[in-house]
Amino acid sequence: MSTSFHPLTFWSIFTALAVGVVLSDSAISAFLALGGAAWIVYRFRGDGPWRNSFKWSLIAGLYLIAIRALAGIVIGVPRLGDTLFTLPRIQLPSWMPGIRIGGPVTWERLSFSLHEGLIIATVIALFGAANSVTSPRKLLRVMPSRIYQLAVTLTIATSVFPQLISSITRIRQAQYLRSGRRPRVSQVAIPLLEESLGRAVALAESMEAKGFGLSKVQSRYRPITYSSRDLIYIVAGFIFSGAMVAL
Amino acid sequence: MIKFSRVSLIYPHSTTTVIEDLSFEISEGEMVLVMGHTGSGKSSLLRLVNGLVPHHTGGILAGEIIVDGRSTRTSKPGELAGIVGIVGQNPIATFVTDTVEEELAFGLEALNFPNDVMRKRVEEALDQVGLAPLRNRDIATLSGGEQQRLAIAAALVMHPKVLVLDEPTSALDPVASEEILAILHRLVHDLSVTVILAEHRLERVIGYVDRILLIEGDGSSAIGTPSEILKKSDLVPPIVRLTRALDLEEVGTSTRDVRRITEKLRSDLPESERPSHIAGRALVSAKDICLSYGEKEALKEVSIELRASEITALMGRNGAGKSSLIKALVGLMEPKSGYINIDGVNLMQIKQSERSQRIGYIPQEPGDLLYLTSVNDECSRADKDNALPKGATFELLHEMLPSISGNSHPRDLSEGERLTLVLALVLSGAPDILILDEPTRGLDYSAKNRLMALLHNRACEEGTTILIATHDVEIVAEVADRTIFLADGEKVADGSTLDVLLASPAFAPQVAKVMSPRRWLTVSDVLRSQELSE
Amino acid sequence: MKVFRVVAISALIPSTLLGFIWPFLVSSDEAANWASWFFFASTTFTVLLLISLIASDDLGSKNVAFLGILSALVAALRPLGIGAIGIEPMWFALILAARVMGPTFGFLLGALSMLLSALLTGGIGPWLGYQVFAAAVIGFGTALIPLNIRGRAEIFALALYGAIAAEVFGIMMDLQFWPWALGTETELSYLAGAPIAENLNRFFSYHFLSALAWDIPRAIITVILILIAGKPALNALRRARHRAAFVTEVEFKELANVRSNHR
Repeated sequence: MSTSFHPLTFWSIFTALAVGVVLSDSAISAFLALGGAAWIVYRFRGDGPWRNSFKWSLIAGLYLIAIRALAGIVIGVPRLGDTLFTLPRIQLPSWMPGIRIGGPVTWERLSFSLHEGLIIATVIALFGAANSVTSPRKLLRVMPSRIYQLAVTLTIATSVFPQLISSITRIRQAQYLRSGRRPRVSQVAIPLLEESLGRAVALAESMEAKGFGLSKVQSRYRPITYSSRDLIYIVAGFIFSGAMVAL
Repeated sequence: MIKFSRVSLIYPHSTTTVIEDLSFEISEGEMVLVMGHTGSGKSSLLRLVNGLVPHHTGGILAGEIIVDGRSTRTSKPGELAGIVGIVGQNPIATFVTDTVEEELAFGLEALNFPNDVMRKRVEEALDQVGLAPLRNRDIATLSGGEQQRLAIAAALVMHPKVLVLDEPTSALDPVASEEILAILHRLVHDLSVTVILAEHRLERVIGYVDRILLIEGDGSSAIGTPSEILKKSDLVPPIVRLTRALDLEEVGTSTRDVRRITEKLRSDLPESERPSHIAGRALVSAKDICLSYGEKEALKEVSIELRASEITALMGRNGAGKSSLIKALVGLMEPKSGYINIDGVNLMQIKQSERSQRIGYIPQEPGDLLYLTSVNDECSRADKDNALPKGATFELLHEMLPSISGNSHPRDLSEGERLTLVLALVLSGAPDILILDEPTRGLDYSAKNRLMALLHNRACEEGTTILIATHDVEIVAEVADRTIFLADGEKVADGSTLDVLLASPAFAPQVAKVMSPRRWLTVSDVLRSQELSE
Repeated sequence: MKVFRVVAISALIPSTLLGFIWPFLVSSDEAANWASWFFFASTTFTVLLLISLIASDDLGSKNVAFLGILSALVAALRPLGIGAIGIEPMWFALILAARVMGPTFGFLLGALSMLLSALLTGGIGPWLGYQVFAAAVIGFGTALIPLNIRGRAEIFALALYGAIAAEVFGIMMDLQFWPWALGTETELSYLAGAPIAENLNRFFSYHFLSALAWDIPRAIITVILILIAGKPALNALRRARHRAAFVTEVEFKELANVRSNHR
């Protein structure tokens, strides 16, 4: 199912949602957007290593909220309101002047930190969701042809990367078997570098022979196009986002 | 189709000519083998055909190369993409994308071919090399033979008139290399494509080529039919060594020809025993080992014994379980069931530092062990690791390869020299077991002979237990005392090399094919019988 | 076209930098809120535009192949580190490759390595522009090391640069993260409208806390790796650059000339 979407469909939906959340600046719309994102991710997420991005971005968001809350409590500038509790004051050395630690913590102070944290965490999670449902390889295939050479560079890199990872394992094992010790980073890095450079030389030659860079315009094999389903989803995403701002 | 007129080549920052005053012509639909020692300029010659040399590599070129009416002086390699397709030595290193179909489309996209043409050409190329069922596969999951076929297809999408291949079968097992050669044969005969290839393993290609271009390191060269060239060349496949050794008038290049001229010999010569030295005690014994990666069973109840002073060959197709068995024997993977003992002690009970001392392992890519900037540095490192007196490792290396210079960079060595260096590094630790994984890839005959002599010497003089995993039947026939054959994770044969190799037609060495049904594997086997009769 | 590129590049660099330093420049809380979201969105665009402008010169197959494979290598070296995210051997590879292949290549290599990491791990988002730009700056900054030094001096210069680069990367990441991690209204947050000195003081207090965890281990690892493996790595890169003949000298001669010159 997920394979037939245009790679930019979900990116536009989630970008619209993120804009909506920031503009509306309300916790309710943040939770609504997160709910929508969770549903889309549950429904359409891919099968590569990027599929867990949403999960990781949620965790990152929670951390961020925690840091904010902690910073708000420990080193926050006081806000007037109901005092929840009071922390003891700590005096810092003289070379870090003007910074107070501790003091009374109010409910207003804490909720302000939490609210700001929530909005940002939501934005992060929305982009995480977009990553989860879009294959990076397909994303590269719809890069504008103006940056064709950069897109090819990244295509090469994504193709070679897993092979280099298995080369690392192979070199490590060979070194380990020779010396009986865990190899040092440089013992692995240098053979890996040599191997990579050898590949780069061979690859450059093969690309040159195939006529890379000769034509200023390139065509696209099996181009990815928008379907009506893509459009329906995008429109729905924009309406959802607009509604959040309006309400 | 291709015309070299008085071509000479010098690379930048170098004072020696790689190729000197070379002239020859190749016509449409010919299959030509370029032959020469390592470093004789074969690769440069191949790259001259489409102008990669000198346009891409730099260099000074004298003379003229005309391909299909166009001079490489004025046409860049990319502009000749529709005329000359080139397939590099290590296909996986030349791929840009990661799926079969996208790789085929890459060149067409770059040259802005319209979509409908691309679709048609990709389909055609997939059919020509038989990769259609694998069209959506990830390239990294393809076997070596499939990758080679993909590289050929990626050149064929451009509809080239000339196909240039640098060692297309070196890294392949005999069956996969037959497939590649069959594809090339079909291209030549059905589509009149001109094919030029370089290959160390002459025994594989000699039966297919129309002519041979021989280039010597000193700049001289010759072109002619296989029998003309092979008569005077010092690089010859076993089949020609046989006819020479037997002092036959004719030089046969195919099994059929040589069978015809040796008919009398086959019936007249007496039987002879292959010399066998007495193998020592069983040093390594593996009993009923099973190994699996997740669901996939890689080894099923394999039992083997490796004896001191004995060279054992481990053969089988890619994926038959050779690598898994080696990983188990060196202690990288613990068998799921069964055990491996060294001198009666379970391998898993031995500490890795002691294992490393006892088992010398030469990986498939010898370069994996090299990380310093000179041969000397690598050797002193080995001296230190093995607590040897300074210079001991280099001395050992020098014995094995007198021509080597201590100041050279390990990566500038030829494949054969690099392998010898790594062998010296590993052998300096005086291991009593030596395990080599595919040691003959990319080696020419002289490097192979050196390796064989060395292994033989180690086994007989030092009593080392040696295991070689290899696709190379010729080397197995020459040095292995015993051969183990794996298929689909199971041991299907284990016996004297003679018995095992003669039992399987695909893995029989060239001499055995010629001399079938006689029980001879190598030229020296035949000569021994001949001596006996005199 | 050439003039347009130069103008565009010189306009994009300061506008990208603004994305890092806006907390020092905003005058009111309202402006700060607006600026935070504006630069969050705009920096990625200016960085991508910058990269595509710098790469729009025909790179050619050699540069594309080397950039592609070396950026995969740099990204592959990341997990080779020991546990903590701060200890990344990637900087060592980036700095040495940039040294050998030149600052423009270094700029693109830094940028592409970060882009690739994000592509592979699903980390694409507005924050990416900052990381990409910071890594690109570190690749480009190798231009500061004089070209003619070689041997030990070169290794020490690179190691010194490695330490500085690790710190610069840390500062740039903290500049990005500072307003987001703390928000406003804490003792270490930026203070809209306050004098720059006051905000610098607050920033470096914040930075000091994060540097202990991230930048110092990163700097140490980078320096150690350059000292240990710098020589063979530089050697490998220079030999490959030579082998690939980046500066090709192509010449066609008549036969007689070749012989008389070289035999």
